[in-house]
Order: sequence, then structure tokens, then C-alpha cells
Amino acid sequence: MIEAIPQALSLIFTVEGMFVLTLGTMLGIVLGALPGIGSTVAVAMILPFTLTMTQAPAILLLLAIYAGSVYGGSISAILINTPGTPQSAATCLDGYPMAQRGEAGKALGWATIASVVGGLTSAVVLIFAAPQLAAFALNFGPIETFALILLGLTCIVSVSEGSMIKGLIAGFLGLFLSTVGGDPLTGEARFTFGNFQLIAGFNLLAVVIGVFALSEVLIRASAISDADNKLVKFSGIVLPKLSEWSGRVKGLIKSVLIGNVIGILPGTGAATAAFISYAEARRSAPTRDNFGKGEPDGLIASESANNAVTGGALVPTMALGIPGDAITAVMLATLTLHGVTPGVRLMSENPVLMAAIFSGFFIINLMLLPFGMIVSRLAAPILRIKEAYMLVMISLLCTVGVFFVRGNPFDLLVMALAGIFGFVLRRQGFPMAPLVIGMVLGPTLEISLRQGLIITDGSFAAFFTGHPIAAVLAVIALVMLTLPVIRFYRSKSAKA
Amino acid sequence: MNIFKATATAVAAVMAFSTPASAEEFPERPINLVAPFNAGGGTDLLLRAFAPHFAEALGGDAYVSNMAGGSGTVGAAALAGQRPDGYQMGYWSVTVATIQPQIKDVPYDVDSWTPICSVAASPTVLFTNASSPFQTIEDVVAAVQAEPGKYIYGSSGPGAITHLTTVAAFEGLGIIDDMKHLPFQGSGPALQAMAAGTIQFFGDTELLMTRGDFRPLVVFNAERLESFPDVPTAAEVGIAAPLNELYLWGGLFAPAGVEPDVTEKLSTACETAMNSDGFQQFAADTSTVLNYRNAADFDAFFRAQYESNSALIEAAGL
Repeated sequence: MIEAIPQALSLIFTVEGMFVLTLGTMLGIVLGALPGIGSTVAVAMILPFTLTMTQAPAILLLLAIYAGSVYGGSISAILINTPGTPQSAATCLDGYPMAQRGEAGKALGWATIASVVGGLTSAVVLIFAAPQLAAFALNFGPIETFALILLGLTCIVSVSEGSMIKGLIAGFLGLFLSTVGGDPLTGEARFTFGNFQLIAGFNLLAVVIGVFALSEVLIRASAISDADNKLVKFSGIVLPKLSEWSGRVKGLIKSVLIGNVIGILPGTGAATAAFISYAEARRSAPTRDNFGKGEPDGLIASESANNAVTGGALVPTMALGIPGDAITAVMLATLTLHGVTPGVRLMSENPVLMAAIFSGFFIINLMLLPFGMIVSRLAAPILRIKEAYMLVMISLLCTVGVFFVRGNPFDLLVMALAGIFGFVLRRQGFPMAPLVIGMVLGPTLEISLRQGLIITDGSFAAFFTGHPIAAVLAVIALVMLTLPVIRFYRSKSAKA
Repeated sequence: MNIFKATATAVAAVMAFSTPASAEEFPERPINLVAPFNAGGGTDLLLRAFAPHFAEALGGDAYVSNMAGGSGTVGAAALAGQRPDGYQMGYWSVTVATIQPQIKDVPYDVDSWTPICSVAASPTVLFTNASSPFQTIEDVVAAVQAEPGKYIYGSSGPGAITHLTTVAAFEGLGIIDDMKHLPFQGSGPALQAMAAGTIQFFGDTELLMTRGDFRPLVVFNAERLESFPDVPTAAEVGIAAPLNELYLWGGLFAPAGVEPDVTEKLSTACETAMNSDGFQQFAADTSTVLNYRNAADFDAFFRAQYESNSALIEAAGL
């Protein structure tokens, strides 16, 4: 892999190569920032344009769109509290409060640097250790995945603002919503009440956009006034000074690691990584009490982790030729269309092409910094329009985005209902992040549990006795759950 | 749900004012080709490669729209019962057209369609890891009978062609009750589990199998495959009809009741498009096995498949 890099760079530093990298990164950031158009849709949208290109530029364009869109989601999350993609939902939690108190530029600065560091690290990991890591990922069967998701669910505890009970109710609601639709193991319809459209379940994106973005529109509309000075002030990204990083580097490294590992594992993704990383930061960061009120450490945790997933997800895709999710599946399809057979021999048969893809991926992540600044700068004037117009514009963008994904009008109905539902719940003090976590993790939790029980012939004990990785993860989950309780009683007895 | 019907009714009402098209003038407006899966997937790519050549052959316009969900049934359900004017067609696979309607309560069945043409058909193959001790299917039968309940076969989901391939094999060999089935969400995760040793058997098309280090055991084709002359057919190893032949096929379907002249025109254009250099190149690049049948042949094939697959569905316990 490394020997092929000089030759690979000559493929990238061509007019066509640099053109697609520049255009792709910019376009990816813009598409990611638009609510509804997630990474999968963005990549699928661009795919037809790659058909006339040669191999390397075609894949590089898609990679640029992919990495750009994961980062771009943070722009709308911070500026208008609307996650452009589900993986940016955790970014809203601290990004928007920062923007509200007039530090939008700074919030984006933290998010940008965190994204760049996350992406660059994952590119390095990809270049140096893809085959080894892909072999490691194979140790993760259904039982290990179940234990990991169990650990992920403990983040509901840490993102429950104010009331733990309300957070848990929202989390279980999310888990329940994820069970609607076809049973993943038998195909039978569940909780559809005879409505055929529900056979596919609730579309995650429609629900996320509804409960985060539309409910925000409703909340703001219900408190709208003539004075427009409540609007977020933003005139460009302000990068954090080096001195401001003191005490935050450890958290950054940890989040990058979490993102990389979760990216490599099958069945999970950027949204899971962002939430788990956020929860871990909230548990361990010295600034944990400020989380949810606009704490840069929270932003760093979610943005560095979700961008680190991008490189991680490419590990099994490129080393084994097995796509882990819909986005990497599109990448492999593109390789196929260009006459390259994806599979276990992909890297050994095409060393130069693979080196070009990996080094190009590194360059793309470097480009996020200048292009992020340019794109968000362009978005600044939009934020200065009247709030009423702004709310209409957000609703419109959400509608178009959600419809575009599956072309199904039913999703619009789901989005609208989720918006109203989210509005009512938020008014009552229910946090929305646990609901989204429940919906994101629910399907994997269910499938891995039931697959595990098939393998062990229905024995729960065998989950942990024969699977050391699963046992360790389960113990960590248990600790994560009991720590807040112990802390609570300690502080109580200290007061007494 | 009713929003869609309302929209469809409104669109239909507007169209009612336009002059009725005769077959000579067909097509007067662009033709919508529905891919019942997400953009970027295999079906979507095939349809997008097909559309420009199809449009050229028809002397009109054609575009692809995606309507994903419910293993393809959401798109098919939306098209069923629409005006059979030939301006809307979908690309349904064997599962969408013949399997899902027999295992799920979907609002369409065998009589909902005017089959236009078949485009692709690949026989399926049962395979195992290249490093596995099983050299032949006889080894598998012996091992399963020696240790009932030990071996696991995977699938990309209940009712998928991957599921039916393994069911056809193990039901046909009479050992299905001594094995366990582990469904995954798609072929990718299942193949990963195969590489890890969680599952021992999987069935899919030849294309997918050749991507990994896998060993073919049985092919579900009428005769042996050119690429694997040593691998026996299902009939050779004693798997009786109708379980011995299984194809991942797909083709164009319009809502039932299309005028014969229009059907004829569409079916001919489909053949021309499939023979075009551009589409042939696409098929070669993606190892798609093309298989054209005209409207009448495809109709007979589709009905026969609907019938024979019901035996598989019963064996799979779906």
C-alpha cells in the first residue's frame, strides 16, 4: 500500500483529480448542510455523474461528497438547530446553545477542527492498517454487536436533560418506534394496524427532521415577536486559539478512537458513534457540568467521532469488499461500473488505485478546513433574513429533503406528525435526543439479540461465557449505568 | 397514505383532459420507470443504464424514479392499480413480483400486472467458505446428519432470494430441520458473518460469490455453469423439482390492462435497448446475465414462477 503512494499521487495531482476533489468537497458540505439530504442521498445523487469519469476521479468524487456531507451536517445543526443528517443530531446539543449566546462562529470553529482531526486520523488508519483492522472486525459477531449497542444505549442516561425519567421515556419511545414495520427475522408486519405504508417502518430521517427541525420551527413560531434580535449572529468561522485547546486534547483523542472503532464494525454508523462519543465525553470530561449548555467539549466529541467513522467504514469495504452500509455499497457499485471487481483481492490486485483512493481521502479531509470556512461564510447572509421567512425556509427545505430520499409522500406525513409530537413533548420538558438514539440503535439491538439467541439456542448465559469481548462491553455498560447512581448517593451523603 | 392516492387522482384527473393516446402516437410524454429500491443500489443502477437506450428505442423520453421500502413492495404497491397507459412501469425482481405478495399482505398479486419484458436472470449458487472442510454437498449432508442443530445457513433477509436458495437446497436434501437459519440485513453483513465463521452456508448469484473466497457446492440451473464445470446442478444431487431451479430475475411490469399494441411497442423497444452497445457494455462491466423474453413469454414465465415459488415459500415456513 505505502510503496504505491508516489504513483498514486500522480493520479490525484492532475487537473481532473484536483477538480473533482475541490468540487466534491464543496458540494458535499453544501448537500450535508441542507436538512434531509444525508450522506447516502448525496452520494447517490452524484453517482450518475461519475459514469463518464475514469476510475480514480470517480471514486474520489464520491469520497469527497461523503466526507464533506458528514461535516456539512454540523453547519445547520449549529446555526439553525436542524441536523442536516442524523449523525449531526448530537452536535445540536451543544452547538446551538453556543450559537444562541452569540458564539456561532466559535462553535463552527471547534466543529471544523474536530471534524478535520477526526477525518485525517481515520485516513491514516485506513492507509496503514486496513487489512489488519478488517480482520479484527470479523471478531464482531451478532453477540458482540448486541453488547456494543447495549453500551450505546447507556448514553440515553447522559443526554437526558433535566429529568432522567423523561429521558428514559423518550428513549423507550424511540426503541418502540423502531419496532414498527416488517419483522427483520420473519418478515411479518408488526404494529402497522393494517396500514400497508407502515410495512417499511417509520423512516428515520423523516422522524429526526420532524422532532428536531420542525418542532424547533413550531416552538419558535409560537414565541415569534417583531423583534428579530433573537436571531443567531454569525459572520464567519472563528478558529479556536491553540491555548484554548488545553484540557481538551485528551477528549479529542478518545472521540477519534471511538469513531474509528465504531466505523470499522458492521451494523453501526456515524450517528451511533457521535452519540456514544458524546456520552463518554459527558461522563469523563472535566467540563461535564456544562454539557448541553454550549460546551465546546461536547461539540468536539460528536464532530470528531462522526468524521472518524468515514475512514473506518471504508476499512471492511476496501479490505474485504463487503460494504458495511448503504453509502459504502454505492462506492463498491461505482468500482464495479468502472470494471474493478470489489472483493477480498481488491487491494492486492489494484494497489495504485487503492493508494490513490486512500491518499485522496486524506487530502479531502484537509480541504474541509478552507472549504468549510467558505461555505459557512456563504450561509451567513441567509441567517440575517427575518425570522418568519427563515422558519418558512427551514420547513420548505425539510419537506423537499425528506421527500427526496424515498420519493414517498407518506414520509412527509410522518415528518409532520413527528414535528407536532416533538413540539408537544419538548414543551413538556422531554428531551428529543434519547428518542433519536432509541430509533437509531433499536433495529441493530433487536436483530443482534435475536440472532445471538438463535446461535446460542436461546441461552443468555452463553452470550457472555463464550464471548469475552461481549462480556467486557457488558461490564462497561453496567458501570456506565451505576456510576451516576453512586455519584448521586455520594454527593447526598457528603451534604448530610 | 391517502395523500398519495389523492395526488394520483388529481394527476389522473388532469391527464383525463389530454387526448387519449393511440398506439401509433405512443409515447407522447415521458415514461416513468420505477425502481422499488434506493438510488445507488443494483436495481437502480441497472434501470438508469437501461433508461436512455429504452427511450431512444421508443423515440421518446424515459426517466427513473425511486420509491423504496418494504423489500420493494412499497414501490410495487404504488404502481398497482394505476392507469394502464404504458407511461408508468416498474422493474420488479423475482422477490418483489412473486414472493413478497405470497408472504405479505400487499395490495397486489399475480393479476395486477401486464408483464412487458424480462431483462436479467442469473441462476443462484449455494456456497461455503473456501477454507471450510466441505468439499461437496455430500460432505454437508453427512456432517449435518452427524450433528443436527450445529450448522447455520444465512440469508440477506426473510423471503429474499438468498433465503430461498438455501431453503431449496436443504429442503430438497431433506436436512433443513437439522439446521438453523440466521437472517441478516442484506448480503454484505451476511457475507461478513460467513468470513467470520458465524454462518457456514449462503446462497446468491455467481457474481456475488466470486467476490470472496468461497467454494460453490450446488448450482440451481438446468445445466452446469460454464464457469464452474465441476459443480453439480441441484437436480444432479437429488433435489427434486420445483426446488431444483432458482433464478434471480427481473423485468419490466406495467399495471394490468395495457393495450396489446402498446405492450408490443414497449416490449420491442426493450429488446432493442438490451441489444444496444451501451447496455451490453454495462452488462459486461457488472456481470449481469441478460435474458430477454417478450411480453407473451414473460407473462407465461412469470405465472409459472409465481406458482413454483409458492412451494419454496411453504418450505421456508414464511
